[in-house]
Amino acid sequence: MTTTLDRRSFLAAGLGLGASLALPRRALAADSLVVATFPGTWNEAHSKILAPYFRKRTGASVTQTIQLAHDQIAKLAAAGGKPPFDVAILDDPQVLDAIKQGLIVEYPTAKSPSFKELLPEYQDRWGPKISMQVIGIGYNPKRVKNPPTSWDALFDPKYKGRVGLTALNSQLGIAFLAELNRIKGGSLADFEPAFKALRAVLPNVGAIGANLGAYATLWQQEQIDIAPYNFNFVQTLKGRGVPVELAIPDTGAVGWRTSLHLVKDAVAPDLAVQYIDSHLVAEVQAQMQQAPYNVIPTNGKVALTGEITRSLGRTHAELAKIRTIDWEKLNPQRSALIERFNREIRV
Amino acid sequence: MAARAAAGGREWRLALPLAAFFLAFFVAPLGVLVAWSFYDSAELRALTLAQYARFLGDRFTLGILWDTLTLGAKATLVCLVFGYPLAWLALRLPPRWQAALVFLVILPILTSVVVRTFAWIVMLGSQGVINQALAAIGLVDRPLRLLYTEVGVVMVLAQVQMPLMVLPIMATLARVDPNLSDASSSLGAGAWRTFWKVTVPLSLPGVVAGCILVYAACVTAFVTQTLIGGARLIYMPLYIYQQATGANNWPFAAAMSVVFMIAVLAVVYLLNLVGRAARGAYA
Repeated sequence: MTTTLDRRSFLAAGLGLGASLALPRRALAADSLVVATFPGTWNEAHSKILAPYFRKRTGASVTQTIQLAHDQIAKLAAAGGKPPFDVAILDDPQVLDAIKQGLIVEYPTAKSPSFKELLPEYQDRWGPKISMQVIGIGYNPKRVKNPPTSWDALFDPKYKGRVGLTALNSQLGIAFLAELNRIKGGSLADFEPAFKALRAVLPNVGAIGANLGAYATLWQQEQIDIAPYNFNFVQTLKGRGVPVELAIPDTGAVGWRTSLHLVKDAVAPDLAVQYIDSHLVAEVQAQMQQAPYNVIPTNGKVALTGEITRSLGRTHAELAKIRTIDWEKLNPQRSALIERFNREIRV
Repeated sequence: MAARAAAGGREWRLALPLAAFFLAFFVAPLGVLVAWSFYDSAELRALTLAQYARFLGDRFTLGILWDTLTLGAKATLVCLVFGYPLAWLALRLPPRWQAALVFLVILPILTSVVVRTFAWIVMLGSQGVINQALAAIGLVDRPLRLLYTEVGVVMVLAQVQMPLMVLPIMATLARVDPNLSDASSSLGAGAWRTFWKVTVPLSLPGVVAGCILVYAACVTAFVTQTLIGGARLIYMPLYIYQQATGANNWPFAAAMSVVFMIAVLAVVYLLNLVGRAARGAYA
């Protein structure tokens, strides 16, 4: 053996290497930003449109980590003052959770020149709304010849074994249950009608996706023909050649808003605000509105075009009529609803 | 014992880096997990046994635990039934074929679990390869339901975890002295009798090791269970995940993790006992 590495220096080198791996990388680079993004369409739009724009605008680099809203909340809560990312992307219900748990701070609108270009309903002091997500009835046009016009289609015996659902840990699942409940005469204080309807639809249900990734696979594999689905997911799958269309039922579309937030104790708060503001710029939103992303814009200067105008509404005023859900009332029940849903669907 | 004493008293320090690593990244977090399980809510206000009471007093959650433990047992059994002959056969092949077979066996663990699982979704689906093949040869007139059934989950787990069963069995079978089989047959035992009375007992340590590895991997296989099983077959890993993130109920998720861990350890301990008893009986 000619090596001069003795035991002591080997150990020291090992410990040094270990420590450098354990140290958060972001502590070393001041001109880089870590942000959260959602999987699927969002991640693609953010990495192809938003990240390059942000880099050009600030010269800083950005790392986008893909996490669902509730995972972000869990991680921020667990981090205890050392957030793993500076910008959170949340849906309406998780925004309330994040405020309650003190995980996000009020958005410094004065530092964000594009904020005032947003339509008033999207200007939220806790963080600007960057889009709206809308659910309707997804269907496979090869097998469902007439576009469904009502949620009652899910109960039609001719779709026995061909109806899909998704678990309540996704926003899609819980929004669908709330809408089903409303149509069947329930209220946010009484979900009994929804569960009665769920029991009625179960004989038709061929599969329940445990998460949205598994749910997309159900469509790709043509394992289901008709199911509640999200406007943007339908567009993404359609773009990949999957036979799926979205129908808006006669009871109207239901949606929720998606927003970006400055995380409390952010490492690079100024860059974070620049990043969020980049998402509000008309040019960026106009690009994200194009296929295959079809992200609904919230900047009033962006005229609606494409699939959004065909499926959802021709003007911002029409989109503003899309029904939303009172998450303030629904949130406290969410865990009980998930629990109940699990028990009702378990085979 | 004598060997250890003869090796001197200082070599144990070589294990210190690993021990420190385990202490910092496994034992400490585990301690945190156990501590969490005794709190009343995610705000960590009061100490209580309520989470355990809730888990143990609910038929639904106990049902999930039972399903998870039996799922592991079924997948392990399938692995054993298919894996043992495979290991036995592999040792009797010429070296080149043996290498090819071993490569085929470990192939599944060379790809990502997510990729493997999605491949299985494509195969098991109602438009999938298996159903198309069955329909083509006229065995079924409507697609079999394989995806989102327990049968499907067991099939996939068995394929994915097969190497963990085959490799330990091969290792022990290879060490069995071939003279013992010859002795057995020269004393008048037939091939079957030799196999059951000589080969199987001698390979039991490998079988037990394989079963423990496969069992532990199957009951905790979150990705496979969730993607192949869907939301209607709820197993412990998915349920713990839902409680931790979806419902934000960390103490309950922690208590479930602790109960689950103890249950799996108990099964592993039982397997060990079986192995030891069997060895004792044949020794």
